[in-house]
Amino acid sequence: MIPCAYFMNIFKVARSIWIGMGITLKYFLNHKKTLCTIQYPKEKDLIPARHRGIHYLETEKCVMCWKCSDICPVDCIYIEGVRGADGPLQGGYRGQKATLSKFTVDYTVCIFCGLCEEPCPPKCIWLGPEFDYHSTDRTMMEKNLLTDEVYTEGDEVFVEWARGENDRLQEEKKKQKEAEKAAKEAEKAAAAAAEAEEEGSDAEGESAE
Amino acid sequence: MNLFVFTNFFAQTGKDLKNLGDYAEAASTKWGLAEPGVYYEGGLFFAGLIKWLLSTTEVSSALPFAGTVNGLMTSLAADGSIFPELGGLLITIGVVFGFVNVFAIGAVWSERKVSAHMQCRLGPMEVGPHGLLQTVADGLKLLTKEDIIPRLADKPLFAIAPAVVFAGVLMRFVPLPFGDKLIASDLDLGLFFIAAVGAVEVLGVIMAGWASNNKWSLFATIRTATQMVSYEIPIGIAFVTVILCSGSFSLMEIVNQQGGSLLSADDGYTYQGWVWHWNLFRNPFMPILGIVYFIASLAECKRAPFDLPEAESELVSGFHTEYSGMRFALFFLAEYAAMYLVAAVAVVIFLGGWWSGIYPLDALGTGPDATIYTKTLGLLVKVGVFLSKAFALVFVQMWIRWTLPRIRLDQMMYVCWKVLLPISLLCFVGSCLWELVSGGASVFGFGIVVE
Ligand code: SF4
Ligand code: SF4
Repeated sequence: MIPCAYFMNIFKVARSIWIGMGITLKYFLNHKKTLCTIQYPKEKDLIPARHRGIHYLETEKCVMCWKCSDICPVDCIYIEGVRGADGPLQGGYRGQKATLSKFTVDYTVCIFCGLCEEPCPPKCIWLGPEFDYHSTDRTMMEKNLLTDEVYTEGDEVFVEWARGENDRLQEEKKKQKEAEKAAKEAEKAAAAAAEAEEEGSDAEGESAE
Repeated sequence: MNLFVFTNFFAQTGKDLKNLGDYAEAASTKWGLAEPGVYYEGGLFFAGLIKWLLSTTEVSSALPFAGTVNGLMTSLAADGSIFPELGGLLITIGVVFGFVNVFAIGAVWSERKVSAHMQCRLGPMEVGPHGLLQTVADGLKLLTKEDIIPRLADKPLFAIAPAVVFAGVLMRFVPLPFGDKLIASDLDLGLFFIAAVGAVEVLGVIMAGWASNNKWSLFATIRTATQMVSYEIPIGIAFVTVILCSGSFSLMEIVNQQGGSLLSADDGYTYQGWVWHWNLFRNPFMPILGIVYFIASLAECKRAPFDLPEAESELVSGFHTEYSGMRFALFFLAEYAAMYLVAAVAVVIFLGGWWSGIYPLDALGTGPDATIYTKTLGLLVKVGVFLSKAFALVFVQMWIRWTLPRIRLDQMMYVCWKVLLPISLLCFVGSCLWELVSGGASVFGFGIVVE
C-alpha cells in the first residue's frame, strides 16, 4: 500500500498548498479592509480612557500640599514654591493657595503607577493619554508640568532665581517683622519709661509737697 | 570586475543578431551606416548612433590632443567594421543589464508590498509615494557601506564570486526574448544554453561559500549546490520535452510555433493563434510538466519554500553570510534577475511567449497591409503581453513565498528525486507517445504546421 500513501501524500500537499494560497490571496485582495497597521506618528490609535500616560497638572487648582510627591513610591515629583496665593514671588505660577516655581516629574524614574492622582485634594494632577515622551539625553527626561515642556536649563535658572528671591523676601519680611517688633518694643519701652517718669514726677511732686 | 569579460562575450554572440529588423534598418539608414534593403543586425540601431556621434562631434582645438582625438574619431567612423559588435555590446549592457536592475528595484519593492498586504501590513510607505523609492534608498545605503573582506578569506575568490553569480544569471538573458524580435541574440541552442549556463551560478555560489572561510557558509554552499544541481534535472526534462514537441532549441522558434498555424508565407504571415496553441495545452501531460517546471524553477532560483541556501533566521543566512555592501547587493540582484529569468523561460516554453492567445490582437501589424504604426503598435502589444505574463508568474513566486513555510533539506530532496523526477519522466514519455500517435496535433485537434 506504499504507492497509495505516496499519492495521498502528494494529494494532501497539493490541497493544503491550494487552501493556503487561497487564504493569502484573499488577504492580498482585501488588504484595504484587513489592514492592521497605522502610520504611527501621523495617525494615532485609540487610547483607552483610563490610560496612564504622561502627567498633566491643572496649576490654578493646586494647593501645594505635597501629597502627590509624598505618596509617589519612587519620589520623582519635585515641587517648589510659596504658600499663599498672592505670595511674595513675582512671575511664579499661581495655584489656588500657592505660588509655584517648580513642579516637575522625572520620567527616567516614574513608573506610571498613577498613585499621585489619588490623594490630591482638588484632583488637579492626572495621567493623560500621551505616551510618546522621548529625548536624546537623560537630563531632558524631566517634564515641567507648569509649562508642559521639557524642564530646561532656563527653567532651572528661573527656579534658582525664585529660590534666592524667596529667601530674600523671607529675609526681608523677617527683618521687617523684627524691625516692627523692635519698634513696638521700643514704643512699649518708651511708654513704660514715660509712665515711670510720670509716676516719678508724681512722687516728686508729692515729696515736694 | 570580470563582468566586462562576459559582456565582451555578449558582443561576440551579438554578431549573429538577426532581429529588431525594420527599426534597425530605418535607424542605420538614417545615420548612413549601410544601404537600405539589407537585413540588418539587431545592434545596428546603436551602432548607427555611435557612428553618427563619432562623425559629427568635434573636440574643441583649445584642448590638448584635440587633433589626435579628432583624427581617431574620424578614422573610427570611416571604418565601419567594429560597429555591429559595439552595438551588440550596447544592447546587452543597455537593455539587458538596465532591465535587470530596474526589474530588481521594482521587484524588491513589490515583493515587500505583496508580503505586507498578505500579512495585513502596509509595507514601505515613507520614501516616495507609497514607498516607491525605498529600494533606491536601500541600494544607496548598500553602496556606501564598508566592503568587508574577512582576514582569513581567500581574497581573489571572495571578491569575484558575486560577479560570477551575477554574470551566470545575466548570461542566461542572452537568448531570452523580451518580445517579438527583441532579443540580444537568437542562439540556435538557446534553451540548451540557458540550462548549461545555469551551472555558472552554482560555481559562483560554491566560490563564495568556500572563499568566505566560514563553516556556516561552507555548509550552506553544500546545501545550495545539492539543491541547485538536483533541481536542474526536472528542469532539464521539461526542456527536453518542449524541445521534442516543438523541434527546435531556439526560443524565438518555440514561441513562434505557439502562435498557431502559419497559413501563407508568401506575402507576409497570417497567424491564427489562440490560447490552445500554447505548449501548455499541447497535450495532457504538458500542464503537469508546466507545474513541475515551475516548482523546480523555484528551487533553482533559491526562492521559498526552497530558500534553504539563505535561510536568514535559522541557518545563518547561507553562503553570503560574510558579504556586505555592494557585493551582497550583487547576490541580491542576481536572485531577483533569476526570478524574472525562470518566469520568462516558463512563459516562452509553456505560456506562448508574446502571443496573447487572442488572434485579432496577435495579428496586429503582421499582415501585408501593415503600416509602420500598426507594426509599432503590434510590437508594443507583444512586449506588453510577454512582460505581463512574466510578471504574473513572478507574482505567483512571491505569492508562494509568503504562503508556504520553508521546507527541510530532506523534504527538499524527497520532492526532487521522488516526486518531481518520476512525474516529469512520465510526462516526457507520455508526450513522446502523444506526438507519435497524434502526429503533432494539440489537444484540441488543431495541427501546428512547422515550416
Ligand atoms: S505615576 Fe506613580 S511614580 Fe509616577 S509620579 Fe505619580 S506616583 Fe510617582
Ligand atoms: S496633591 Fe494636588 S494639590 Fe497637592 S501638591 Fe500635588 S497636585 Fe498640588
